[in-house]
Amino acid sequence: MSNNYFNTLPLREQLEQLAKCRFMHMNEFTEGVEALKGKKMVIIGCGAQGLNQGLNLRDSGLDVSYTLRQSAITEKRQSFKNASENGFTVGTYEELIPSADIVLNLTPDKQHSPVVAAVMPLMKQGACLSYSHGFNIVEEGMKVREDLTVIMVAPKCPGSEVRAEYVRGFGVPTLIAVHEDNDPQGHGLALAKAYAVGTGGHKAGVLMSSFIAEVKSDLMGEQTILCGMLQTGSLLCFDKMIEKGMDAGYASKLIQYGWETITEALKYGGVTNMLDRLSNPAKIKAFDLSEELKVIMRPLYNKHQDDIINGTFSATMMADWANDDVNLLGWRAATGETAFEKTPAGDMEISEQEYFDHGILMVAMVKAGVELAFETMTAAGIIADSAYYESLHETPLIANTIARKKLYEMNATISDTAEYGCYLYNHACLPLLADFMKGMDTDVIGRGLASDDNGVDNARLIEVNAALRDHPVEAIGATLRGHMADMKKIV
Amino acid sequence: MLQLHDLSVEFDEGFQLKHINWQIQQHQHWLITGANGAGKSALAAVLAGYGEILAGSTSRLPTTIGWVSFEAQAQLIQAELKKDDADILDVISLGTCVREIIFTNETDPVIAGELIQKFELEYLLERAFRKLSTGETRKVMLIKALSCHADLLILDEPFDGLDQASHTMLQNHLTHVVKHTPVVMVLNRFDEIPDFISHIAYMEDGQLRHQVNREDTQAFNELYQLLHLKTTHLQVPDSDTDNTRPALNPKEPLVKLSNICIKHTDMVLIENLNWCIQPNQHWQLSGPNGSGKTAILSLITGDHPQCYTNDIFVFGFQRGNGESIWQIKQHIGYVSTALQWEYRVGTSLANVIISGFYDSIGLYSKSTDQQKHIANQWLELLGMQGRGDQPFNKLSYGDQRLLLIARAMVKHPPLLILDEPCLGLDDINRQLVLALIEKVCAAKETSVIYVNHHAQDRIAGIDHYLALEKSADNA
Ligand SMILES: NC(=O)c1ccc[n+]([C@@H]2O[C@H](COP(=O)([O-])OP(=O)(O)OC[C@H]3O[C@@H](n4cnc5c(N)ncnc54)[C@H](OP(=O)(O)O)[C@@H]3O)[C@@H](O)[C@H]2O)c1
Repeated sequence: MSNNYFNTLPLREQLEQLAKCRFMHMNEFTEGVEALKGKKMVIIGCGAQGLNQGLNLRDSGLDVSYTLRQSAITEKRQSFKNASENGFTVGTYEELIPSADIVLNLTPDKQHSPVVAAVMPLMKQGACLSYSHGFNIVEEGMKVREDLTVIMVAPKCPGSEVRAEYVRGFGVPTLIAVHEDNDPQGHGLALAKAYAVGTGGHKAGVLMSSFIAEVKSDLMGEQTILCGMLQTGSLLCFDKMIEKGMDAGYASKLIQYGWETITEALKYGGVTNMLDRLSNPAKIKAFDLSEELKVIMRPLYNKHQDDIINGTFSATMMADWANDDVNLLGWRAATGETAFEKTPAGDMEISEQEYFDHGILMVAMVKAGVELAFETMTAAGIIADSAYYESLHETPLIANTIARKKLYEMNATISDTAEYGCYLYNHACLPLLADFMKGMDTDVIGRGLASDDNGVDNARLIEVNAALRDHPVEAIGATLRGHMADMKKIV
Repeated sequence: MLQLHDLSVEFDEGFQLKHINWQIQQHQHWLITGANGAGKSALAAVLAGYGEILAGSTSRLPTTIGWVSFEAQAQLIQAELKKDDADILDVISLGTCVREIIFTNETDPVIAGELIQKFELEYLLERAFRKLSTGETRKVMLIKALSCHADLLILDEPFDGLDQASHTMLQNHLTHVVKHTPVVMVLNRFDEIPDFISHIAYMEDGQLRHQVNREDTQAFNELYQLLHLKTTHLQVPDSDTDNTRPALNPKEPLVKLSNICIKHTDMVLIENLNWCIQPNQHWQLSGPNGSGKTAILSLITGDHPQCYTNDIFVFGFQRGNGESIWQIKQHIGYVSTALQWEYRVGTSLANVIISGFYDSIGLYSKSTDQQKHIANQWLELLGMQGRGDQPFNKLSYGDQRLLLIARAMVKHPPLLILDEPCLGLDDINRQLVLALIEKVCAAKETSVIYVNHHAQDRIAGIDHYLALEKSADNA
């Protein structure tokens, strides 16, 4: 079976790879797409990433075509329609791979081993194989032919965003890496940079990292704060409001759109800004709750990070793949049956501010999750920049998917890997927070603090404000957001 | 009270007011405004009983009128000159003196005396009226009008020719007068509008186009901008000299579409279309919904995926040969309703305009001082000066559209595409947008493609037409 690449490395190199991460300066991209000009780029798979990256690359003046597995072409499946209706050449592996200068593997991660095994023999000498996620290389230990260059260009956003931001004249933050074992001509970095420019990523910020740092941080972020915490929080908060006799439609709406509304504040001014949207008493309340949550959940975050680093997580998940996804499919079905998922949002009006005022506990959960994920990742040797993107930065993006169609939509949009990790987290976190939730009431979720609760202790408020602003995720966040010039603070 | 009902009136010079419907209620003070030649003064004159009624009716026209206007002033002077001619030739006539002109049967001597003092006219009372300067005659007219216990005061550009002190004096005086006398004022400039004005009538082409209650601040602002655009000489603001785009070959067409086919899985939208746009041609593209207007435009702008499967030559590029869409877009300014929907970013008015330099939705680059300066020039042109820091998404729908046109024009593109630029706009905003487009067409630097449903909805300056029909396949 597969062999975990990370685990084959000596500790010194493991640490070195994990810590690889540098924010690249705009002037490192002055060559534009030159390194890829006139090169044949062939994308395998035309799904969320494949289609949208391809559209961007073509609009940047590059030569893009698609190769799909035979069945997709014969059955004219959605992936075939995506590519052909957009005017791209579509062909089989045999037709397109041999002439490709760069092959972009944008199939689902769990298909990577068979897909790469199928295309590798067809690839021409000295060509390049690229990924948008390093799972196959790092966790499955894929060995790629020695003459081939292996790079990664990973947009830190869902495919639809990758396209939408490009069309607006911008891009999404992107992580690039070169697999050092496969860079025979030493031009891997030049190719990865040109590819990032072609998708527009350079305008929003590019992190130069390693396959290992990307995988270990990406997995950690998605299964804890991004998907796991939001899912667990949704279920707990909803059940609490119902238990306290609140209107189910209101409870459903407050949560479905609440995550999106409160995490929008993260985009502009991080956790501090999110808490600043609350009244002073509510802010102190949210802060205290999040401190409590952090103590309770820290061991769980540590366990997730440990399992990811030592390969336990991917081994467990791959065992489930091999077992026809029995666990994954079972959990997916169970999530669809939860009370939150089955209760439609009411049609009452909820103002933007009300989402904050009535969602103090949700704010506390986001804060605790973001900070814990960030702290755990950096403690494991992942650089702050990378930890920021994989935690705080992506939270609003995932929250958007819940606003669209609740947990179903979120789990459909994220990768199977993220979904699997999300369920693991969810199943461990629900019982972990059971006692804590017993103490919660509608003042922190559903109704907000009573208006006579106005007094705050000055000294305590100063302490809380200082603690918020001093958290390391805020410092790196301010720097990285500064690179995204458009993120004007709106008042 | 006073009412004009579907009134059409002709004046000596053949000028007509058409289908005027207007009511002036008690306690209302109206401003009549509009561009030169729109019929402002004529409408005021109708209230004074002038003009030949062709159709419609009036009711409750005032009996005693205080009227100040160039026309009234000219009439008075005319009458004086006639007196002159009628005099025996060997007597040198001095004409009527100011005192006689002012103090007639209708005049309230107390009020007149007070005003003479305020205007400091005492020393002129014995002089001949026709020897006065224009400003002085104007003051005499004002005194007469204000001291005759009028049922209605018609003040047509009353501040014209007055020095600052008299201007202020008059304004103060009027604040008392309006307590008991309704006022209709004609002004060309909105910035002189007194506080007591409660309603505004906007004239255009002899028609009363808009009536706005001043408390409706949004409508008031729109009217302000419309008047501003109609009455100021448009000078398209400078271009950004630091960021120039590659020059185009003037001998080549801007756009050449050959044998265009746009297909979707189950239908053919466009078949075998050929279209060539030369520099300095203005085009109107029309056709019913679903005839593919927007699709064709997006082939030109590079937003349609099938631009890679068609024979398209744009701005020196044969599409599909390694050019990027940004190399195409730098030559195009583009406005559409869809763009307005997409432009939902929390950014400032100035930044929206500046984003036109980068063809982006939202601003992602640091703008230069020159670009900021140009943005301010545009805001001024639109009558939105000083509002550069306001958030775009808080603007009215019509103002957003105007701003997006400015965004499209800011880089002085060789081609400006206006895809149904008036869609969803109310009448006044439509006129605002059309006024701006006509000015852009007249500026001769940009070729315009103007798209709408109706081939008859024409814009001055457009001389080429392409009408699409709904293709049989999707009828
Ligand atoms: N989604 C994200 O937010 C995101 C973000 C960054 C990076 N990524 C990475 O991008 C890559 C692609 O993810 P995605 O979300 O775009 O996947 P996706 O939407 O599920 O698309 C996968 C595509 O691959 C094709 N495919 C599936 N199985 C295949 C097989 N065995 N052989 C050949 N083709 C196959 C599918 O077409 P047919 O089934 O019709 O053949 C489909 O077009 C992954 O590595 C992922 O980690 C994803």
